[in-house]
Amino acid sequence: MRAVRFFIHLFSPQESNNHKARAIHTSSLTFLILAIFLYQIGLEILPHVGVRVLGYAANISPDEVIRLTNEKRLANGLSPVTLNPLLSQAAQAKGADMLNKDYWAHVSPDGIEPWKFFKDEGYSYHYAGENLARDFSNPASVVDAWIASKSHRDNLLSPKYKEIGIAVVEGDLSGVDTTLVIQFFGTKFEAILPPKPVSQLNVEPAILPTIKEPSFILKSSTTLAKESGPVLISPFTSTKKISLVLILSLTVIFFIDWLIVTRKGVYRVGGKPLAHIGFLGMIVAIVLIAKGGQIL
Amino acid sequence: MRKFFSDIFHYLSLFIVFILAFSSFRFFPFDRFMQVGICVATSASYIVWGIVHHAIHRDLSLSVILEYIVIGSLGLVVTFSLILRA
Repeated sequence: MRAVRFFIHLFSPQESNNHKARAIHTSSLTFLILAIFLYQIGLEILPHVGVRVLGYAANISPDEVIRLTNEKRLANGLSPVTLNPLLSQAAQAKGADMLNKDYWAHVSPDGIEPWKFFKDEGYSYHYAGENLARDFSNPASVVDAWIASKSHRDNLLSPKYKEIGIAVVEGDLSGVDTTLVIQFFGTKFEAILPPKPVSQLNVEPAILPTIKEPSFILKSSTTLAKESGPVLISPFTSTKKISLVLILSLTVIFFIDWLIVTRKGVYRVGGKPLAHIGFLGMIVAIVLIAKGGQIL
Repeated sequence: MRKFFSDIFHYLSLFIVFILAFSSFRFFPFDRFMQVGICVATSASYIVWGIVHHAIHRDLSLSVILEYIVIGSLGLVVTFSLILRA
């Protein structure tokens, strides 16, 4: 009986809660904000206490990424790029470097640019480009994300590139089980130049990279193979689910509160429930369309 | 409900802000900087709307302002935790 009374006190406006459901009192909402903060801090701490967290459960086939890339190029009147195994090996080396040195950037913390991986594999380029993606669940969302970003789109739809290499690398970045997609574009010297004396081939080529400042550089340098213990939680997915449940519940409570107060004709000093419902509804819509994954 | 219809233009302006915010968020699916900016601007607009609305109705008080600030902050915390986790 006491539990029922508390439940009503929590979710329905009545005298005991000053005619406003306790769950939507300013103090309760402040408590919720703190709880979300604590949850996020907890997710940050987990990898440091040995619990692996999952970036995204990915199923990305390199062939499918190439097929979708060429589909976009053909749709834009461009010739398709052909797979060059050297570029794929270079992309693989870049991915391994990112996991080993634990960074998410075009340039490694020790200053190694992507082009070094091209040269290491013996790919002598005239044009070269790189697109990066992480934590996407399927190839279509990766390519769509690149197309949605102007600089990546320019790379993907550049008529200068003739060849492509893709690597999908899975491992641990800062305690998060992550899937990296490395897309290398290139055009060899010999593909665009008439035969010239060897000495002229060493001229520095024009490069069209998608280079930006690293958004962040991760600290830990462990890889998946070195880690032990089960993968416990996906930060993005769990945050999304919890946010949805939380905000939807609040929206329903505000709506019930508004209905009861309006029917009873209670006058109270406070914000407008309909405005709150509209705002929370918009937050729910934003949470629903929020997409996981990052591109660089 | 009668009060709602008398304030229809107030609510309409708020609705337009929400539609614009949602559309902009959708338009920049992987641009964190823009998404954060959209969320901050929308929450700020919502708080300002609440203050102006209650000031017009002459029932503005500290508790009302706090209520809008807390709900606006809740929206910000939820969207930030998602955007920065993506």
